[in-house]
Amino acid sequence: MFNKIKLQDGVNLYIRKTEQFKTVNVTIKWKASLEEKSASDRTVLANVLEESNRSYPTQSEMRKALDQLYGTVLFTDVSKRSSQHIVSLYAECVNDEFFEGEDIFKQLWRLIRATVFEPKISDGAFEQAVVDREKRNVRDRIRSIYDDKTRYAQKRMLEIMRPDQPASISAYGTEEAVAAITPESLRQTYDDMIHQDLVEIYVVGDIDEREIIAQIKEFLPFNARKAKKQDTIQSENTAIPVKTVKERQDMKQGKLHLGFSTPITFLHPDYNKMQVMNGIFGGFAHSKLFMNVREKESMAYYANSAFASQYGIVYVTAGIDAELEDKAVKLIIAQLETMQQGDISELELNQTVALLENSIRSSNDSARSQIEIYDQYKELEENFTAEELISKWQAVTIEDVKEMADTVHLEVVYLLSGKEGEEQ
Amino acid sequence: MKEIVFDELQEKIYTETLDNGLKVVILPKRGYSKTFVTFTTKYGSIDRTFKPHGKDEFITVPDGIAHFLEHKMFEKEDGDVFQKFSLNGASANAYTTFGRTAYLFSATNKVKENTKVLLDFVQEPYFTKETVDKEKGIIAQEITMYDDQPDWRLYFGSIENLYENHPVKIDIAGTVESIQDITAEHLYTCYETFYHPSNMLLFIVGAVDPQEMMAFVKEDQAKKTFDAPEPIERKFPAEPNHADIPERTLTMDVSKPKLNIGMKCNAADQQGQEMLETELSANLVLDSLFGRTSPFYEKANDEGLIDESFSYEFSMEDGYGFAMVGSDTEEPERLETLIKQTIQNAKDYWPVKEEDLDRMRRKKIGQFMRSLNSIEFIANQYTRYEFNEMNLFDVVPTLEKLSMDKLKQAFSTFSDDQNYTIFTIMPPAAEQ
Repeated sequence: MFNKIKLQDGVNLYIRKTEQFKTVNVTIKWKASLEEKSASDRTVLANVLEESNRSYPTQSEMRKALDQLYGTVLFTDVSKRSSQHIVSLYAECVNDEFFEGEDIFKQLWRLIRATVFEPKISDGAFEQAVVDREKRNVRDRIRSIYDDKTRYAQKRMLEIMRPDQPASISAYGTEEAVAAITPESLRQTYDDMIHQDLVEIYVVGDIDEREIIAQIKEFLPFNARKAKKQDTIQSENTAIPVKTVKERQDMKQGKLHLGFSTPITFLHPDYNKMQVMNGIFGGFAHSKLFMNVREKESMAYYANSAFASQYGIVYVTAGIDAELEDKAVKLIIAQLETMQQGDISELELNQTVALLENSIRSSNDSARSQIEIYDQYKELEENFTAEELISKWQAVTIEDVKEMADTVHLEVVYLLSGKEGEEQ
Repeated sequence: MKEIVFDELQEKIYTETLDNGLKVVILPKRGYSKTFVTFTTKYGSIDRTFKPHGKDEFITVPDGIAHFLEHKMFEKEDGDVFQKFSLNGASANAYTTFGRTAYLFSATNKVKENTKVLLDFVQEPYFTKETVDKEKGIIAQEITMYDDQPDWRLYFGSIENLYENHPVKIDIAGTVESIQDITAEHLYTCYETFYHPSNMLLFIVGAVDPQEMMAFVKEDQAKKTFDAPEPIERKFPAEPNHADIPERTLTMDVSKPKLNIGMKCNAADQQGQEMLETELSANLVLDSLFGRTSPFYEKANDEGLIDESFSYEFSMEDGYGFAMVGSDTEEPERLETLIKQTIQNAKDYWPVKEEDLDRMRRKKIGQFMRSLNSIEFIANQYTRYEFNEMNLFDVVPTLEKLSMDKLKQAFSTFSDDQNYTIFTIMPPAAEQ
C-alpha cells in the first residue's frame, strides 16, 4: 500500500508509486476537532485559499495557470470523520512523460505552495471582498441542502437522533457561524490550521520517492506541531422509546428515513461483521430491503441501508408513497427482525461477502479512492491491506450476522412528505 | 480481430464485428484490478415511432418504454439477475438515455462468468403480464423521485421548451400515466426490433486478456441463433430551428431561484468527424465565454449573481443538440441579461484570442488524458462515440487541429436569439 514517511512531528507523507495511472494525484489533509463554529471557519477558509493567492492574485489568473498546465486540477473541500474535521486539498496533473520538456509536476508543487503558503493576507487580515463572497457561497451551499429532499431528510433525521453531536454536525458548520466570520478571524483560522493541525500528505502515481521528499521539503515548509489524537466517539445504545417525526414540504414523494443505533463502531472488533450485516439488510441489490420492499411489494424505487460506522448508526432510506408509511415501516422492521431471528441464508452471506470484496478491490483502480480508504483504515492498522479485510469478511458466519442484527435498535422514524391533503 | 494502437495515449484496443453483427471492443488496462463491461443497444427514449421487426407499418409506443424494458430485462423466470451477479461478486446496473440503453457490470473476479450472465440476460427476454404490472409501482416511485429534484426539472424542462416535436422533449422514464399503458407485448415488439446484435456493442475494459475474452464472446454468440439483421427504420417529426417555448417558470419548494438558459443547436444532422469537431469546438467556446477564467464568471461571481451551483454544458446527439448555462441565483433577471449579453458580445466582436484557444486546448487534452484513468468513462464514452460514428481516441488529434474558424462556426449553430429558452424555478411566494 502506502509508504509512510514522517516529515515532522504531526506532518506525515504517504507515498504510493504505481504506473497504473496517466496522472499523479496529490492530496493534503488538515485534521482538527469537529465543532460547528470552526467547521464554518475552515470551510470558508478552504474556499478563500482555492480562489487566489499572492502569486496569482485573481481567480482568473490562478485558473489560467492551471489550464495552461494541461488542465491540472486543484481544489479544496471539507469533510468530517468521527469527531474530526478535515480540510482537503486535491491536486492532479498529467504525467510528464506525455508532454516532453514541460515539467508539469514541478510546476504543480509551485501552485500548491502558492495556495497553501502564499495567502493574500495584508495587515493581519484576508481581503474583505473575497471573504464576503466566499461566506456567501458557503452560506448558499448550506441552504441548498433544503433543495435536495433526500439530503435534507437525512440531515433532519440525524439532528433528531443525535442533536448537537458530531453525527449531526455539518462539515460546513452553520449559517450563523458563517455570518460571524471576519477577514481578521479568518486569518486566525488560517494560522491555526497551518501551524497546529495534523497534516497528512498523499502522493499516488509514477513518481520517484526521493524526489518527492526533496520537493515537499522545498515547496511545503510545514513546521513540527503537536497534533492531538482524535477523540473516539462512544455510541449511544440505550433502550429509549422510538421518536416518530413527520415534516412537510411542497413535494410529491415521501422520504422515509429510519435511524437505528448500534454499539458497534469503526474501532470495534466486530466492525467487519457489522459491514456484512448491513450488506444483507439493505446494502446491495440482493439484500432483504431491495428484494422485499422494492421487488416483492413494488413500494419503492430505492430502499437501502447504510452503516455510518464512525457514529454507531445504521440508517434506512426509502422513497415511498407517503400514504403507505406505516406499511413501509413495518416491512423494514420486519426485515431486521428476520435477521435477528437468524433467518439468513448462506446465499445472502456469500453474495454480500463477494460484493464487499469487489468494492474494496475496485477501489484500487482510482487513486483518490486508494487515498481515502487508506486514510480511514490506517487508523486501525498502518499496514492495512485489502486482503486482510477480505479474510475478515470471509470468516463471518450466519450466527455472527444474527448477533450483529441483535445490537441494532430503532431510535427514529422520520418522514418528509408533501403538503397535499394536509387539511383532510 | 483488429488491433489498433494509440501510441500517444499508450492505449491499445482490439475490435471485431461478429457474424451476427455484434461489435465487440476490448481494451486491456495495465495495473487495473477490475473489469468493466457494458452491453449497449442503440435504442433509447426517442425511438418511439418505428417499423417493428418484420412489419411494414410504423407504430408509436407508449412513452417511457425503453426505460421500462431496461428494468424488466433483469427479471427472469428463475428470479432476479442481480442475484447471479452478486454471487459472482459483480456489481451490476443499467441505464437508459435518449438514444441508448446500457447494461453493465464491474467485477474483480469471475469476469467470464459475469460476461456470460450479462450476455444471457440481455439476449433472453422474459416478460409476462404479472411482471410488467408489478414494475409499474417501482417505476412510478422512480418518476416521482425525479419530479421532486429541482435541478432535474430545470434541465429537462429546458429541453422540453426547446423542442416542439422531437421526442427528446419527452421524459426518458415517461410519466406515471403513460407507463400504465405498457404491456408485455409492447416490450417484446421493442425488444425484437432494437436488441438485435447488429444494433449493439459490447465493450470490455480492464484486467482482461483480449484474445481469451474475444474467443469467449465469439463462442457464446455462435451458440445462439438470431434472425438475419434488418435495417431499423425510425421516424422523427420535422423540427424547426428555433426554440419552441421562449420562457417558462415553475414553482417548487426551493431555497433560492434557479435559472437555466437553453440554446438549441442547429447542426443536429451531423455525425462522425464533423460532429466531433462541432462538439469539441462548442465546448471550447462555452469554456472561454463562461468558464472560471472568463470576464463573465468574474463579474457574475463578484456581484453574487451565481454561486457554486453554476454550470454550463454542450450536448449533441443524432437529431438534437443544445448548450445550457445555469445557476441558482437570487437575481434571475439580472443573470439572464448578463448571459444574453455575453452571447451577444461574442457575436458582435469575437472575444477568443489565439492564446486563449491554445490554453483551452491544453486544458481539454489534459482533461481527456485524466478521464482515461476511468474505465467507466472509456466504456460509456467509446460506445456513445461509436453510435455517432466517431472514435473516442480521435479527441486529442482533433483538439490539436481545431481552428478559430471552427469555433466560430460551432458557436453560430446555437447562438441565434431565436434559439434561446429561459427556464426558471421559483420558491413559493412568501406566505401572508
